[in-house]
Amino acid sequence: MSKTMLVVDDSATMRKIITRTIRKAGLPVADEILEAGDGNEALQKIEGKPVDIILCDINMPGMGGLDFVKKARTNEANKNTKIVMISTESAEGLIASVKADGADGYVTKPFTPETIQKELAPYLQ
Amino acid sequence: MVGQEIFSEALLSGMAEVFETMMFMSVEECNEMYEAIEGEALLSSITFKGAVEGCLGVRCNLNCAQAIARNMLGSDAGQTLSEEEVVDAMGEVANMVLGAVKARLADSVGDIQVSIPTVVKGKELINSLGEQSFEVSKMVHVDEDVAHIILLYRFTTQAN
Repeated sequence: MSKTMLVVDDSATMRKIITRTIRKAGLPVADEILEAGDGNEALQKIEGKPVDIILCDINMPGMGGLDFVKKARTNEANKNTKIVMISTESAEGLIASVKADGADGYVTKPFTPETIQKELAPYLQ
Repeated sequence: MVGQEIFSEALLSGMAEVFETMMFMSVEECNEMYEAIEGEALLSSITFKGAVEGCLGVRCNLNCAQAIARNMLGSDAGQTLSEEEVVDAMGEVANMVLGAVKARLADSVGDIQVSIPTVVKGKELINSLGEQSFEVSKMVHVDEDVAHIILLYRFTTQAN
């Protein structure tokens, strides 16, 4: 069964790249992949309508990815949602911190289609 | 203090990684002298702060920017993208290149915080960082086109 997905990134270009990469990888996601430009918009998108998996940038104007993860995790409705961060940030301390705050996975930009497939596949079974 | 060659190597290899991975475009430093990028260009800039602070810029003419954006988005070679799409793509280029550079310099300069990228359009665009700053400036071939990458930086008191 296809999974519902939300891609959160302030760059429309990056949202398109991520969406295209997921489609090319043949991952089982729904026909419509939701998009949001920052954490606030993302929270609105999932309000009362949780998704299966969220791919989220960290460095965004407005609400960034770190605050988004914390807020999303305070809502019991999102407890089963998998959140994977996608960012140019690669410091191990930051990755550990964001996972401690509730993120399930982490992908560093730039990424290859193989990386996306490998990181997301476990959450799309 | 970290030598300029470390920054130079990080800049070139970081840019090459981003372009090869995300745009499937080759990047090579120009060995011969090139005239300045003529006509209107886009300059995508992103700042950073920490033990080292400064600004990274990627500058190229509009044709080159179109080609970069098309490759990022997987568009057809003949397609003309909107200015909004090209500007957004160029912003993401600076963001990813600085991310790659930052990862390469992490052992030398520690963690740095990165801003949101900005993109401006115009002629003879340059960034400036003022006194006590260093500059790594490279002209590079991006497939058939030429781009200019500039890393301006200085060490702060946090470096001491």
